[in-house]
Amino acid sequence: MKNEETARSLRNDRIQGDYYRLDLEAPVIARAVRPGQFVHTQIPGLAHRVLRRPFSVFDTDPATGRLSIIYKVVGEGTARLAATAPGTPISLLGPLGNGFSLPSADAFPVIVAGGFGCAATFLLARRSPVPFRVLIGGRSVADLLLVREYRELGCTVRVATEDGSRGHRGVVTDLLAQLLDGGGPPPRVYACGPNAMLGAVCRLVSGRGLDAEVSLDHVMCCGVGACYTCVVKVLADTPDGWEYVRTCLDGPVFRARETVWE
Amino acid sequence: MADLSVTLAGLALRNPVITASGTFGYGADYADLVPFERLGAITVKGVSLAPCRGNPPPRTAEVFGGLLNAIGLQNPGVDKFLHDSRYLPFLRTVDTAVFVNIWGTSIEEYAEVARRLDAESEGIAALEINISCPNIKHGGIAFGTDLGLAGRVVREVRKATRLPLITKLSPNVTDIGEFARCVVEAGSDVVSLINTIPAMAIDIETRRPKLANVTGGLSGPAIKPVAVRMVYQARQAVDVPIIGMGGIQSAADALEFLLAGADAVGVGTAIFADPGCLVRIVDGIDACLDRWGVPHVRDIVGGVIV
Ligand SMILES: Cc1cc2nc3c(=O)[nH]c(=O)nc-3n(C[C@H](O)[C@H](O)[C@H](O)COP(=O)(O)OP(=O)(O)OC[C@H]3O[C@@H](n4cnc5c(N)ncnc54)[C@H](O)[C@@H]3O)c2cc1C
Ligand SMILES: Cc1cc2nc3c(=O)[nH]c(=O)nc-3n(C[C@H](O)[C@H](O)[C@H](O)COP(=O)(O)O)c2cc1C
Ligand code: FES
Repeated sequence: MKNEETARSLRNDRIQGDYYRLDLEAPVIARAVRPGQFVHTQIPGLAHRVLRRPFSVFDTDPATGRLSIIYKVVGEGTARLAATAPGTPISLLGPLGNGFSLPSADAFPVIVAGGFGCAATFLLARRSPVPFRVLIGGRSVADLLLVREYRELGCTVRVATEDGSRGHRGVVTDLLAQLLDGGGPPPRVYACGPNAMLGAVCRLVSGRGLDAEVSLDHVMCCGVGACYTCVVKVLADTPDGWEYVRTCLDGPVFRARETVWE
Repeated sequence: MADLSVTLAGLALRNPVITASGTFGYGADYADLVPFERLGAITVKGVSLAPCRGNPPPRTAEVFGGLLNAIGLQNPGVDKFLHDSRYLPFLRTVDTAVFVNIWGTSIEEYAEVARRLDAESEGIAALEINISCPNIKHGGIAFGTDLGLAGRVVREVRKATRLPLITKLSPNVTDIGEFARCVVEAGSDVVSLINTIPAMAIDIETRRPKLANVTGGLSGPAIKPVAVRMVYQARQAVDVPIIGMGGIQSAADALEFLLAGADAVGVGTAIFADPGCLVRIVDGIDACLDRWGVPHVRDIVGGVIV
């Protein structure tokens, strides 16, 4: 069930660098949302911009009806959102998208995340019956998000920075490769982050006969499946082996095995 | 409570607010968010003879006051539309009139799509012919910008079906009145306008077009004054009902089209940001007519004072 809910902004603070956390009172969506789903968000006071902005639901408190997102200021809409005062009504459509499937209690689950992708996988770790291994990457230490919060959930966190300012010097998928080749039980891999990272995750798991659930980021328009803006290629039973599916409806979470990277 | 009912080519609608083709999918995607029984009609996304994959992404780009799109008419094809439960079988269960937008790359394709829809037409209130597509057989000239081709498409579709016919005009012409007259003479019962306006946007950092297709169609508030002007000119040219659209976001926008001469209005791009706008537009027209003391919506059609 999709809902349109007018949420009230409770707090809207910068957490680090260009990243902000927005807490909203949105009881209907907060209680319905599953990990990996998103809310299509109307930015207040942006009348000359005709579209909503999609943000993953980072965390919820079903008891109070709180729903939180973490966003990075990258353009006009997110800059305007950062300037929105607490108390402002904000219209949300949600919960949207398919979301991740929870690991079973005997699984060995791993999250690979970068940038605001760390927000998209947080609810998954919170609701998981088993603690996650979490691999977080970024350009430098200022880009590593939610390390403390994942640890507070009981997750084991390892970090990688390209400039070596914290943790492993290199990309986060180096850590995934080490883990996959470390001789443990085959992990269940979940990933969200920049496309280059997701492509690397898909190649790493596929090369070892494994699969992963990856959440793709794609420009959206309606967010509900009506306009066919957000299509991605997936492998399919067609004469040339692929078809376009909608990220907002059939995704944003896809199986590594069905993705096509060009 | 003013009387909002309108009659288009013998077809009674509860009110003049219609979803524009391509912006409401095939209805089901908005079923949770929009009470269909409050709408005048739903126009579904363009259906063609064969399934169509559409253009590579990126397919849309937001621009100041509007939206550029080059979706490329992705659709399941007419047979799947008729039989897959997500399309027409679903639409047969909803309490609102359904208009099926059709397109083709040759005149024969248009006629064949119309024939197949006519053969299983339960639940279809009318066909809307989108003539803004290129004719592959004739070197890619858009049907909608060539009077001869536009007339022939409508004539052939007219022969293929008894359903009421709406022809969706392209704004990409010098004299819109001439095209309105041409399709009406060819058998169209209603005209709708405007379709999107050819346009382009460039990312200055990458120096690449924002759409993979390079150019696309502009919709949204940015095109509204152009659309109002064209509806006004079409009203001077023909007596058949007109569905006016282009940039409508509010009841005030819709009333502007009605005053310019539209009997009903289409709402497209505005749905993306605000699905609730459809019902708000219906209620807002009602409230405004009450304030003006106008008993029936048809009393203001073409009421612009010049
Ligand atoms: C399923 C999904 C989940 C997301 N979750 C988050 C999140 O949790 N936190 C976060 O910070 N960001 C997230 N994003 C990206 C976020 O939607 C964009 O950063 C945001 O739309 C940018 O808006 P803007 O007006 O600031 O940028 P502008 O560049 O001014 O926007 C112009 C247009 O491009 C679109 N756009 C620009 N960048 C992106 C992008 N990366 N993805 C999709 N659309 C884009 C905008 O929506 C707008 O329509 C998510 C995207 C998707 C698809
Ligand atoms: C994403 C998108 C897809 C569209 N697809 C179609 C289509 O398949 N057939 C058609 O006749 N018009 C199509 N249109 C045009 C709209 O029906 C409408 O004529 C136009 O967008 C102007 O109205 P608006 O400004 O309210 O959106 C499409 C428009 C958009 C934005
Ligand atoms: S954004 Fe409209 S179909 Fe996905």
